[in-house]
Amino acid sequence: MRYMVFVKMAPDAGDAPPALFEAMDTEMGQAFADGSMIAAGGLGGGEQIVELRLTDGAITTTDGPYAEAKELVGGFSIVEARSQEEAVEGARRVLELHQQYWPGWNGAVEIRPIWGPDN
Amino acid sequence: MSDQPTQEAITAVWRHESVRLVGALTRMTRDLDLAEDLAQDALVAALEQWPDSGRPGGGVPANPGAWLMAVAKRRAIDQFRRNDALRRRTAELARGLEEAEMPEFDAAVDHIEDDVLRLAFLSCHPALPPESRPALTLRLVGGLTTQEIARAYLVKDATMGQRISRAKRLLAESGASLEMPTGAERQARLGDVLAVVYLIFNEGYAASSGPEWTRPELCLEAMRLARILSWLVVDDPEVHGLQALLEIQGSRLPARRDADGRAVLLEAQDRRQWDQLLIRRGLTALAEAQRLGRAGRPVGTYVLQASIAACHARARRPEDTDWPEIARLYDVLAAAAPGPVVEVNRAVAHGRAHGADAGLDVLAAVDDDPALSGSHLLLAVRGDLMERAGRRDEAAAAFREAAALTRNDDERALLSRRADENTLDRRA
Repeated sequence: MRYMVFVKMAPDAGDAPPALFEAMDTEMGQAFADGSMIAAGGLGGGEQIVELRLTDGAITTTDGPYAEAKELVGGFSIVEARSQEEAVEGARRVLELHQQYWPGWNGAVEIRPIWGPDN
Repeated sequence: MSDQPTQEAITAVWRHESVRLVGALTRMTRDLDLAEDLAQDALVAALEQWPDSGRPGGGVPANPGAWLMAVAKRRAIDQFRRNDALRRRTAELARGLEEAEMPEFDAAVDHIEDDVLRLAFLSCHPALPPESRPALTLRLVGGLTTQEIARAYLVKDATMGQRISRAKRLLAESGASLEMPTGAERQARLGDVLAVVYLIFNEGYAASSGPEWTRPELCLEAMRLARILSWLVVDDPEVHGLQALLEIQGSRLPARRDADGRAVLLEAQDRRQWDQLLIRRGLTALAEAQRLGRAGRPVGTYVLQASIAACHARARRPEDTDWPEIARLYDVLAAAAPGPVVEVNRAVAHGRAHGADAGLDVLAAVDDDPALSGSHLLLAVRGDLMERAGRRDEAAAAFREAAALTRNDDERALLSRRADENTLDRRA
Protein backbone atom coordinates (compact mmCIF):
# COMPACT_ATOMS: atom_id res chain seq x y z
CA MET A 1 0.00 0.00 0.00
CA ARG A 2 1.19 3.50 -0.78
CA TYR A 3 1.08 6.41 1.61
CA MET A 4 1.60 10.11 1.26
CA VAL A 5 3.43 11.69 4.15
CA PHE A 6 3.13 15.44 4.75
CA VAL A 7 5.67 17.27 6.86
CA LYS A 8 3.96 20.25 8.45
CA MET A 9 5.71 23.11 10.17
CA ALA A 10 5.41 26.77 11.11
CA PRO A 11 5.39 29.04 8.02
CA ASP A 12 8.43 30.92 9.33
CA ALA A 13 10.51 27.79 10.04
CA GLY A 14 13.14 28.93 7.53
CA ASP A 15 15.48 26.72 5.54
CA ALA A 16 16.48 23.28 6.74
CA PRO A 17 20.16 22.95 7.72
CA PRO A 18 22.31 21.06 5.15
CA ALA A 19 23.14 18.45 7.82
CA LEU A 20 19.48 17.41 7.84
CA PHE A 21 19.51 16.84 4.09
CA GLU A 22 22.67 14.78 4.39
CA ALA A 23 21.20 12.69 7.20
CA MET A 24 17.99 12.19 5.24
CA ASP A 25 19.98 11.06 2.19
CA THR A 26 21.80 8.47 4.27
CA GLU A 27 18.68 7.29 6.05
CA MET A 28 16.60 7.17 2.90
CA GLY A 29 19.30 5.64 0.70
CA GLN A 30 18.21 2.08 1.17
CA ALA A 31 14.55 3.01 1.19
CA PHE A 32 14.97 4.52 -2.27
CA ALA A 33 17.01 1.50 -3.36
CA ASP A 34 14.44 -1.10 -2.32
CA GLY A 35 11.56 0.94 -3.69
CA SER A 36 9.85 1.72 -0.40
CA MET A 37 10.60 5.45 -0.87
CA ILE A 38 8.94 6.51 -4.08
CA ALA A 39 9.43 10.26 -3.92
CA ALA A 40 10.41 12.87 -1.37
CA GLY A 41 10.97 16.58 -1.44
CA GLY A 42 10.72 19.95 0.21
CA LEU A 43 8.12 22.51 -0.81
CA GLY A 44 8.57 26.23 -1.34
CA GLY A 45 6.52 28.51 0.91
CA GLY A 46 5.81 32.18 1.47
CA GLU A 47 5.25 34.17 -1.69
CA GLN A 48 5.95 31.06 -3.78
CA ILE A 49 2.54 29.69 -2.84
CA VAL A 50 -0.33 30.29 -5.23
CA GLU A 51 -3.82 29.16 -4.40
CA LEU A 52 -6.67 28.99 -6.90
CA ARG A 53 -10.10 28.68 -5.37
CA LEU A 54 -13.56 28.11 -6.77
CA THR A 55 -16.19 29.80 -4.64
CA ASP A 56 -19.82 30.27 -5.66
CA GLY A 57 -18.99 29.90 -9.34
CA ALA A 58 -16.04 32.28 -9.37
CA ILE A 59 -12.38 31.34 -9.52
CA THR A 60 -10.08 33.55 -7.49
CA THR A 61 -6.33 33.50 -7.18
CA THR A 62 -4.51 34.27 -3.95
CA ASP A 63 -0.75 34.57 -3.66
CA GLY A 64 1.15 33.68 -0.50
CA PRO A 65 2.39 34.24 2.07
CA TYR A 66 -0.42 33.38 4.45
CA ALA A 67 0.45 35.21 7.61
CA GLU A 68 -2.49 33.70 9.46
CA ALA A 69 -1.50 30.06 8.82
CA LYS A 70 -0.16 28.29 11.91
CA GLU A 71 1.22 25.31 9.99
CA LEU A 72 2.07 24.72 6.34
CA VAL A 73 3.07 21.63 4.46
CA GLY A 74 6.81 22.11 4.00
CA GLY A 75 7.80 18.69 2.73
CA PHE A 76 6.34 15.44 1.54
CA SER A 77 7.18 11.88 0.70
CA ILE A 78 5.36 9.07 -1.05
CA VAL A 79 6.18 5.67 0.39
CA GLU A 80 5.30 2.05 -0.21
CA ALA A 81 4.81 0.11 3.00
CA ARG A 82 3.55 -3.32 3.94
CA SER A 83 1.41 -1.94 6.72
CA GLN A 84 0.26 1.31 8.26
CA GLU A 85 2.61 0.60 11.18
CA GLU A 86 5.55 0.37 8.81
CA ALA A 87 4.64 3.72 7.24
CA VAL A 88 4.29 5.25 10.70
CA GLU A 89 7.68 3.88 11.71
CA GLY A 90 9.29 5.47 8.66
CA ALA A 91 7.64 8.79 9.45
CA ARG A 92 8.78 8.61 13.06
CA ARG A 93 12.36 8.42 11.79
CA VAL A 94 11.88 11.53 9.73
CA LEU A 95 10.79 13.35 12.88
CA GLU A 96 13.78 11.98 14.80
CA LEU A 97 16.14 13.32 12.16
CA HIS A 98 14.51 16.74 12.45
CA GLN A 99 14.87 16.51 16.22
CA GLN A 100 18.55 15.71 15.87
CA TYR A 101 19.63 18.00 13.02
CA TRP A 102 17.26 20.95 13.23
CA PRO A 103 17.23 22.10 16.87
CA GLY A 104 14.21 24.15 17.79
CA TRP A 105 12.14 22.84 14.89
CA ASN A 106 8.54 22.07 15.74
CA GLY A 107 6.18 20.33 13.43
CA ALA A 108 4.29 17.21 12.55
CA VAL A 109 4.16 14.42 10.01
CA GLU A 110 0.82 13.26 8.73
CA ILE A 111 0.43 9.86 7.09
CA ARG A 112 -2.39 9.27 4.63
CA PRO A 113 -3.06 6.14 2.60
CA ILE A 114 -3.27 6.69 -1.15
CA TRP A 115 -6.36 5.03 -2.56
CA GLY A 116 -5.44 2.26 -4.94
CA PRO A 117 -6.64 -1.10 -6.19
CA ASP A 118 -5.66 -2.82 -2.93
CA ASN A 119 -7.72 -0.72 -0.53
CA MET B 1 7.65 9.52 22.94
CA SER B 2 4.79 9.05 25.34
CA ASP B 3 2.66 6.69 23.26
CA GLN B 4 2.86 2.97 23.85
CA PRO B 5 4.25 1.16 20.84
CA THR B 6 2.15 -1.78 19.78
CA GLN B 7 3.46 -5.16 18.76
CA GLU B 8 2.78 -4.20 15.12
CA ALA B 9 4.86 -1.05 15.53
CA ILE B 10 7.74 -3.04 17.00
CA THR B 11 7.49 -5.55 14.16
CA ALA B 12 7.72 -2.60 11.77
CA VAL B 13 10.92 -1.47 13.48
CA TRP B 14 12.16 -5.03 13.23
CA ARG B 15 11.62 -5.03 9.47
CA HIS B 16 13.76 -1.94 9.16
CA GLU B 17 16.53 -3.40 11.27
CA SER B 18 16.58 -7.18 11.07
CA VAL B 19 18.53 -7.54 7.84
CA ARG B 20 21.39 -5.29 8.82
CA LEU B 21 21.31 -6.69 12.35
CA VAL B 22 21.52 -10.34 11.27
CA GLY B 23 23.98 -9.41 8.53
CA ALA B 24 26.35 -7.66 10.91
CA LEU B 25 26.00 -10.36 13.59
CA THR B 26 26.72 -13.07 11.01
CA ARG B 27 29.87 -11.25 9.99
CA MET B 28 30.96 -10.86 13.65
CA THR B 29 30.10 -14.35 14.95
CA ARG B 30 30.73 -16.27 11.71
CA ASP B 31 27.64 -18.29 12.61
CA LEU B 32 24.34 -17.65 10.85
CA ASP B 33 22.23 -19.68 13.26
CA LEU B 34 23.71 -17.96 16.29
CA ALA B 35 23.35 -14.57 14.62
CA GLU B 36 19.67 -15.22 14.00
CA ASP B 37 19.13 -16.42 17.56
CA LEU B 38 20.82 -13.33 18.96
CA ALA B 39 18.76 -11.05 16.76
CA GLN B 40 15.58 -12.87 17.77
CA ASP B 41 16.51 -12.53 21.45
CA ALA B 42 16.96 -8.81 20.93
CA LEU B 43 13.52 -8.63 19.32
CA VAL B 44 11.98 -10.48 22.27
CA ALA B 45 13.68 -8.01 24.63
CA ALA B 46 12.25 -5.14 22.59
CA LEU B 47 8.76 -6.64 22.73
CA GLU B 48 9.10 -6.89 26.51
CA GLN B 49 10.59 -3.51 27.22
CA TRP B 50 9.39 -1.03 24.61
CA PRO B 51 5.64 -1.25 25.22
CA ASP B 52 6.16 -0.20 28.84
CA SER B 53 6.97 3.40 28.08
CA GLY B 54 6.22 4.47 31.66
CA ARG B 55 9.40 2.85 32.88
CA PRO B 56 12.92 4.00 32.19
CA GLY B 57 14.09 2.35 29.00
CA GLY B 58 10.50 1.96 27.84
CA GLY B 59 9.10 3.23 24.54
CA VAL B 60 10.79 2.89 21.16
CA PRO B 61 14.33 4.19 21.72
CA ALA B 62 15.74 7.00 19.63
CA ASN B 63 18.04 4.73 17.64
CA PRO B 64 16.27 1.35 17.67
CA GLY B 65 18.89 -0.30 15.48
CA ALA B 66 21.69 0.53 17.90
CA TRP B 67 19.53 -0.61 20.83
CA LEU B 68 18.85 -4.01 19.23
CA MET B 69 22.50 -4.37 18.29
CA ALA B 70 23.67 -3.57 21.81
CA VAL B 71 21.29 -6.16 23.30
CA ALA B 72 22.32 -8.78 20.75
CA LYS B 73 26.00 -8.17 21.39
CA ARG B 74 25.56 -8.35 25.15
CA ARG B 75 23.87 -11.74 24.74
CA ALA B 76 26.59 -12.88 22.37
CA ILE B 77 29.21 -12.12 24.99
CA ASP B 78 27.19 -13.90 27.71
CA GLN B 79 26.78 -16.91 25.54
CA PHE B 80 30.44 -17.11 24.59
CA ARG B 81 31.43 -16.85 28.25
CA ARG B 82 29.00 -19.57 29.33
CA ASN B 83 30.34 -21.99 26.83
CA ASP B 84 33.36 -23.48 28.69
CA ALA B 85 34.52 -25.75 25.92
CA LEU B 86 34.83 -22.88 23.56
CA ARG B 87 36.13 -20.40 26.04
CA ARG B 88 39.66 -20.28 24.80
CA ARG B 89 38.72 -19.94 21.17
CA THR B 90 36.02 -17.42 21.78
CA ALA B 91 37.73 -15.30 24.42
CA GLU B 92 39.25 -13.24 21.70
CA LEU B 93 36.02 -12.94 19.82
CA ALA B 94 34.15 -11.91 22.96
CA ARG B 95 36.77 -9.30 23.71
CA GLY B 96 36.43 -8.03 20.17
CA LEU B 97 32.70 -7.70 20.62
CA GLU B 98 33.11 -6.05 23.99
CA GLU B 99 35.59 -3.52 22.76
CA ALA B 100 33.25 -2.54 20.02
CA GLU B 101 31.20 0.26 21.49
CA MET B 102 27.79 1.58 20.57
CA PRO B 103 28.94 3.61 17.55
CA GLU B 104 30.21 0.31 16.21
CA PHE B 105 26.72 -0.20 14.87
CA ASP B 106 27.15 2.84 12.69
CA ALA B 107 30.46 1.44 11.50
CA ALA B 108 28.67 -1.83 10.77
CA VAL B 109 26.31 0.05 8.50
CA ASP B 110 29.29 0.71 6.25
CA HIS B 111 29.38 -3.01 5.54
CA ILE B 112 25.69 -3.24 4.92
CA GLU B 113 25.96 -3.97 1.19
CA ASP B 114 28.35 -6.85 1.79
CA ASP B 115 26.34 -8.11 4.76
CA VAL B 116 23.08 -8.24 2.84
CA LEU B 117 24.69 -9.80 -0.22
CA ARG B 118 26.33 -12.41 2.01
CA LEU B 119 22.91 -13.30 3.45
CA ALA B 120 21.52 -13.59 -0.09
CA PHE B 121 24.30 -15.96 -1.13
CA LEU B 122 23.79 -18.05 2.01
CA SER B 123 20.00 -18.23 1.58
CA CYS B 124 20.39 -19.52 -1.97
CA HIS B 125 23.36 -21.76 -1.24
CA PRO B 126 23.78 -24.84 -3.46
CA ALA B 127 23.84 -27.02 -0.31
CA LEU B 128 20.18 -26.15 0.27
CA PRO B 129 17.35 -27.97 -1.45
CA PRO B 130 15.64 -25.60 -3.93
CA GLU B 131 12.36 -25.59 -1.99
CA SER B 132 13.88 -24.11 1.16
CA ARG B 133 15.77 -21.31 -0.57
CA PRO B 134 12.81 -18.93 -1.10
CA ALA B 135 11.75 -19.17 2.54
CA LEU B 136 15.23 -18.50 3.86
CA THR B 137 15.72 -15.63 1.42
CA LEU B 138 12.47 -13.98 2.49
CA ARG B 139 13.48 -14.43 6.10
CA LEU B 140 17.11 -13.29 5.96
CA VAL B 141 17.15 -10.80 3.09
CA GLY B 142 13.50 -9.76 3.03
CA GLY B 143 13.31 -9.39 6.82
CA LEU B 144 9.96 -11.20 7.00
CA THR B 145 8.93 -13.10 10.08
CA THR B 146 8.34 -16.84 9.89
CA GLN B 147 4.61 -16.22 10.37
CA GLU B 148 4.49 -13.83 7.43
CA ILE B 149 6.30 -16.31 5.19
CA ALA B 150 4.01 -19.13 6.33
CA ARG B 151 0.97 -17.01 5.51
CA ALA B 152 2.36 -16.13 2.07
CA TYR B 153 2.95 -19.79 1.26
CA LEU B 154 -0.32 -20.96 2.84
CA VAL B 155 1.37 -23.34 5.29
CA LYS B 156 1.25 -23.57 9.07
CA ASP B 157 3.64 -21.41 11.09
CA ALA B 158 5.22 -24.50 12.63
CA THR B 159 5.77 -26.09 9.22
CA MET B 160 7.52 -23.00 7.93
CA GLY B 161 9.51 -22.69 11.16
CA GLN B 162 10.76 -26.25 10.71
CA ARG B 163 11.62 -25.65 7.07
CA ILE B 164 13.70 -22.61 8.00
CA SER B 165 15.45 -24.32 10.93
CA ARG B 166 16.24 -27.31 8.75
CA ALA B 167 17.74 -25.03 6.11
CA LYS B 168 19.93 -23.30 8.67
CA ARG B 169 21.03 -26.64 10.08
CA LEU B 170 21.88 -27.88 6.60
CA LEU B 171 23.97 -24.79 6.00
CA ALA B 172 25.87 -25.34 9.25
CA GLU B 173 26.40 -29.06 8.54
CA SER B 174 27.57 -28.48 5.01
CA GLY B 175 30.18 -26.04 6.29
CA ALA B 176 28.91 -23.47 3.83
CA SER B 177 31.47 -20.71 3.65
CA LEU B 178 30.48 -17.29 4.91
CA GLU B 179 33.03 -15.74 2.59
CA MET B 180 31.82 -13.92 -0.46
CA PRO B 181 32.24 -16.05 -3.57
CA THR B 182 34.47 -14.59 -6.29
CA GLY B 183 35.02 -14.96 -10.01
CA ALA B 184 33.10 -17.67 -11.86
CA GLU B 185 31.65 -19.03 -8.62
CA ARG B 186 30.23 -15.63 -7.79
CA GLN B 187 28.59 -15.47 -11.20
CA ALA B 188 27.02 -18.89 -10.77
CA ARG B 189 25.88 -18.16 -7.22
CA LEU B 190 24.43 -14.85 -8.31
CA GLY B 191 22.45 -16.79 -10.91
CA ASP B 192 21.08 -18.99 -8.11
CA VAL B 193 20.01 -15.91 -6.14
CA LEU B 194 18.25 -14.39 -9.16
CA ALA B 195 16.49 -17.70 -9.82
CA VAL B 196 15.15 -17.81 -6.26
CA VAL B 197 13.84 -14.24 -6.46
CA TYR B 198 12.15 -15.08 -9.77
CA LEU B 199 10.65 -18.20 -8.20
CA ILE B 200 9.18 -16.16 -5.34
CA PHE B 201 7.69 -13.71 -7.82
CA ASN B 202 6.18 -16.42 -9.99
CA GLU B 203 4.57 -18.19 -7.07
CA GLY B 204 2.83 -14.91 -6.32
CA TYR B 205 2.06 -14.07 -9.94
CA ALA B 206 0.34 -17.33 -10.81
CA ALA B 207 -0.10 -19.32 -7.65
CA SER B 208 0.56 -23.00 -8.26
CA SER B 209 -2.03 -23.99 -5.68
CA GLY B 210 -4.82 -22.57 -3.57
CA PRO B 211 -8.02 -20.74 -4.32
CA GLU B 212 -6.40 -17.47 -5.41
CA TRP B 213 -4.98 -16.80 -8.86
CA THR B 214 -2.36 -14.37 -7.53
CA ARG B 215 -0.72 -13.67 -4.19
CA PRO B 216 0.46 -10.09 -4.62
CA GLU B 217 2.39 -9.94 -1.34
CA LEU B 218 4.89 -12.48 -2.70
CA CYS B 219 5.28 -10.42 -5.87
CA LEU B 220 5.89 -7.26 -3.84
CA GLU B 221 8.54 -8.99 -1.73
CA ALA B 222 10.24 -10.38 -4.84
CA MET B 223 10.29 -6.92 -6.41
CA ARG B 224 11.79 -5.51 -3.23
CA LEU B 225 14.47 -8.22 -3.24
CA ALA B 226 15.23 -7.60 -6.92
CA ARG B 227 15.67 -3.87 -6.27
CA ILE B 228 18.00 -4.55 -3.35
CA LEU B 229 20.08 -6.81 -5.59
CA SER B 230 20.27 -4.10 -8.29
CA TRP B 231 21.50 -1.76 -5.59
CA LEU B 232 24.11 -4.25 -4.35
CA VAL B 233 25.33 -5.56 -7.70
CA VAL B 234 25.40 -2.52 -9.94
CA ASP B 235 27.39 -3.86 -12.89
CA ASP B 236 25.49 -7.00 -13.90
CA PRO B 237 22.92 -6.63 -16.71
CA GLU B 238 21.00 -9.70 -15.60
CA VAL B 239 20.44 -8.31 -12.10
CA HIS B 240 18.89 -5.16 -13.58
CA GLY B 241 17.13 -7.32 -16.15
CA LEU B 242 15.43 -9.35 -13.43
CA GLN B 243 14.37 -6.18 -11.64
CA ALA B 244 12.98 -4.81 -14.92
CA LEU B 245 11.13 -8.04 -15.63
CA LEU B 246 9.52 -8.17 -12.19
CA GLU B 247 8.59 -4.48 -12.12
CA ILE B 248 6.93 -4.66 -15.53
CA GLN B 249 5.10 -7.91 -14.85
CA GLY B 250 4.20 -6.65 -11.38
CA SER B 251 2.72 -3.50 -12.90
CA ARG B 252 -0.08 -5.66 -14.32
CA LEU B 253 -1.12 -7.21 -11.00
CA PRO B 254 -4.06 -4.83 -10.41
CA ALA B 255 -5.43 -5.70 -13.87
CA ARG B 256 -4.93 -9.47 -13.69
CA ARG B 257 -8.23 -10.08 -11.93
CA ASP B 258 -11.65 -8.70 -12.64
CA ALA B 259 -14.14 -7.32 -10.12
CA ASP B 260 -15.23 -10.88 -9.29
CA GLY B 261 -11.65 -11.95 -8.70
CA ARG B 262 -11.42 -13.96 -11.90
CA ALA B 263 -8.24 -14.16 -13.97
CA VAL B 264 -7.89 -11.70 -16.84
CA LEU B 265 -5.32 -12.46 -19.53
CA LEU B 266 -2.91 -9.86 -20.85
CA GLU B 267 -4.80 -8.75 -23.93
CA ALA B 268 -8.11 -8.41 -22.13
CA GLN B 269 -6.68 -6.34 -19.28
CA ASP B 270 -7.71 -2.76 -18.63
CA ARG B 271 -4.36 -1.13 -19.26
CA ARG B 272 -5.34 1.97 -17.32
CA GLN B 273 -4.97 -0.20 -14.22
CA TRP B 274 -1.34 -0.99 -14.96
CA ASP B 275 0.86 0.58 -12.32
CA GLN B 276 2.72 3.30 -14.22
CA LEU B 277 5.26 3.79 -11.43
CA LEU B 278 6.35 0.17 -11.69
CA ILE B 279 6.45 0.37 -15.49
CA ARG B 280 8.65 3.46 -15.26
CA ARG B 281 10.97 1.74 -12.80
CA GLY B 282 11.05 -1.36 -14.97
CA LEU B 283 11.91 0.56 -18.14
CA THR B 284 14.62 2.45 -16.27
CA ALA B 285 16.13 -0.80 -14.98
CA LEU B 286 15.94 -2.30 -18.48
CA ALA B 287 17.70 0.73 -19.96
CA GLU B 288 20.48 0.28 -17.40
CA ALA B 289 20.77 -3.43 -18.23
CA GLN B 290 20.98 -2.63 -21.94
CA ARG B 291 23.57 0.08 -21.30
CA LEU B 292 25.73 -2.44 -19.40
CA GLY B 293 25.15 -4.92 -22.22
CA ARG B 294 26.39 -2.43 -24.81
CA ALA B 295 29.44 -1.87 -22.61
CA GLY B 296 30.26 -5.54 -23.05
CA ARG B 297 28.77 -7.18 -19.96
CA PRO B 298 26.99 -10.46 -20.78
CA VAL B 299 23.25 -10.19 -21.29
CA GLY B 300 21.03 -13.18 -20.62
CA THR B 301 17.51 -14.44 -20.43
CA TYR B 302 16.22 -11.98 -17.81
CA VAL B 303 17.14 -9.02 -20.01
CA LEU B 304 15.47 -10.71 -23.00
CA GLN B 305 12.32 -11.49 -21.04
CA ALA B 306 12.26 -7.95 -19.67
CA SER B 307 12.59 -6.63 -23.24
CA ILE B 308 9.55 -8.68 -24.21
CA ALA B 309 7.59 -7.48 -21.19
CA ALA B 310 8.57 -3.90 -22.09
CA CYS B 311 6.99 -4.31 -25.56
CA HIS B 312 3.67 -5.00 -23.85
CA ALA B 313 4.14 -2.21 -21.32
CA ARG B 314 4.77 0.35 -24.06
CA ALA B 315 1.59 -0.53 -25.94
CA ARG B 316 -1.26 1.69 -24.83
CA ARG B 317 -3.80 -0.59 -26.51
CA PRO B 318 -3.44 -4.33 -27.30
CA GLU B 319 -3.51 -3.56 -31.02
CA ASP B 320 -0.48 -1.28 -30.60
CA THR B 321 1.67 -4.23 -29.48
CA ASP B 322 4.82 -4.66 -31.53
CA TRP B 323 4.33 -8.42 -32.12
CA PRO B 324 7.03 -8.72 -34.82
CA GLU B 325 9.57 -7.38 -32.30
CA ILE B 326 8.27 -9.76 -29.62
CA ALA B 327 8.49 -12.69 -32.07
CA ARG B 328 12.06 -11.65 -32.87
CA LEU B 329 12.97 -11.48 -29.17
CA TYR B 330 11.45 -14.92 -28.60
CA ASP B 331 13.57 -16.27 -31.45
CA VAL B 332 16.66 -14.94 -29.67
CA LEU B 333 15.44 -16.29 -26.33
CA ALA B 334 14.71 -19.72 -27.82
CA ALA B 335 18.25 -19.82 -29.19
CA ALA B 336 19.80 -18.67 -25.90
CA ALA B 337 17.71 -20.84 -23.59
CA PRO B 338 15.97 -23.54 -25.62
CA GLY B 339 13.02 -25.21 -23.95
CA PRO B 340 9.47 -26.28 -24.60
CA VAL B 341 7.91 -23.43 -22.56
CA VAL B 342 9.82 -20.81 -24.56
CA GLU B 343 8.65 -22.51 -27.75
CA VAL B 344 5.04 -22.28 -26.63
CA ASN B 345 5.43 -18.56 -25.97
CA ARG B 346 7.25 -18.17 -29.26
CA ALA B 347 4.27 -19.81 -30.95
CA VAL B 348 1.96 -17.22 -29.37
CA ALA B 349 4.17 -14.36 -30.61
CA HIS B 350 4.51 -15.73 -34.14
CA GLY B 351 0.78 -16.38 -34.20
CA ARG B 352 0.13 -12.73 -33.48
CA ALA B 353 2.90 -11.35 -35.65
CA HIS B 354 2.63 -13.56 -38.70
CA GLY B 355 -0.76 -15.28 -38.50
CA ALA B 356 -2.26 -18.18 -36.55
CA ASP B 357 -0.80 -20.76 -38.94
CA ALA B 358 2.73 -19.48 -38.29
CA GLY B 359 2.05 -19.95 -34.57
CA LEU B 360 0.67 -23.45 -35.08
CA ASP B 361 3.81 -24.32 -37.07
CA VAL B 362 6.02 -23.36 -34.12
CA LEU B 363 3.75 -25.27 -31.78
CA ALA B 364 3.81 -28.42 -33.92
CA ALA B 365 7.50 -28.84 -33.16
CA VAL B 366 6.85 -29.24 -29.42
CA ASP B 367 3.50 -31.01 -29.74
CA ASP B 368 4.70 -34.29 -28.33
CA ASP B 369 7.42 -32.92 -26.07
CA PRO B 370 7.28 -35.09 -22.96
CA ALA B 371 8.05 -32.06 -20.77
CA LEU B 372 4.70 -30.56 -21.77
CA SER B 373 2.54 -33.65 -21.52
CA GLY B 374 0.21 -33.14 -18.62
CA SER B 375 0.67 -29.35 -18.80
CA HIS B 376 -2.28 -27.16 -19.63
CA LEU B 377 -0.04 -24.47 -21.13
CA LEU B 378 0.47 -25.97 -24.58
CA LEU B 379 -3.21 -26.89 -24.86
CA ALA B 380 -4.37 -23.42 -23.85
CA VAL B 381 -2.15 -21.85 -26.52
CA ARG B 382 -3.24 -24.35 -29.15
CA GLY B 383 -6.86 -23.52 -28.31
CA ASP B 384 -6.14 -19.85 -28.76
CA LEU B 385 -4.36 -20.31 -32.11
CA MET B 386 -7.06 -22.68 -33.38
CA GLU B 387 -9.67 -20.12 -32.42
CA ARG B 388 -7.80 -17.45 -34.37
CA ALA B 389 -7.43 -19.80 -37.33
CA GLY B 390 -11.19 -20.31 -37.26
CA ARG B 391 -10.87 -24.02 -36.36
CA ARG B 392 -13.29 -23.75 -33.47
CA ASP B 393 -14.02 -27.43 -32.82
CA GLU B 394 -10.33 -28.04 -32.35
CA ALA B 395 -10.14 -24.89 -30.21
CA ALA B 396 -12.96 -26.09 -27.95
CA ALA B 397 -11.34 -29.52 -27.56
CA ALA B 398 -7.97 -28.01 -26.65
CA PHE B 399 -9.45 -25.58 -24.10
CA ARG B 400 -11.52 -28.38 -22.57
CA GLU B 401 -8.45 -30.59 -22.20
CA ALA B 402 -6.42 -27.69 -20.77
CA ALA B 403 -9.15 -26.95 -18.20
CA ALA B 404 -9.01 -30.55 -17.01
CA LEU B 405 -5.26 -30.31 -16.46
CA THR B 406 -4.76 -27.03 -14.60
CA ARG B 407 -4.61 -27.10 -10.82
CA ASN B 408 -5.55 -23.47 -10.36
CA ASP B 409 -9.28 -22.96 -9.82
CA ASP B 410 -9.37 -19.52 -11.43
CA GLU B 411 -7.50 -20.62 -14.51
CA ARG B 412 -9.79 -23.63 -14.90
CA ALA B 413 -12.80 -21.35 -14.93
CA LEU B 414 -11.23 -19.15 -17.59
CA LEU B 415 -10.30 -22.11 -19.82
CA SER B 416 -13.75 -23.69 -19.46
CA ARG B 417 -15.33 -20.39 -20.44
CA ARG B 418 -13.25 -20.25 -23.62
CA ALA B 419 -14.07 -23.90 -24.37
CA ASP B 420 -17.77 -23.05 -24.08
CA GLU B 421 -17.40 -20.03 -26.35
CA ASN B 422 -16.02 -22.30 -29.06
CA THR B 423 -18.48 -25.15 -28.59
CA LEU B 424 -20.88 -25.46 -31.52
CA ASP B 425 -24.23 -25.12 -29.76
CA ARG B 426 -23.11 -22.15 -27.67
CA ARG B 427 -21.45 -20.09 -30.35
CA ALA B 428 -22.84 -16.62 -30.77
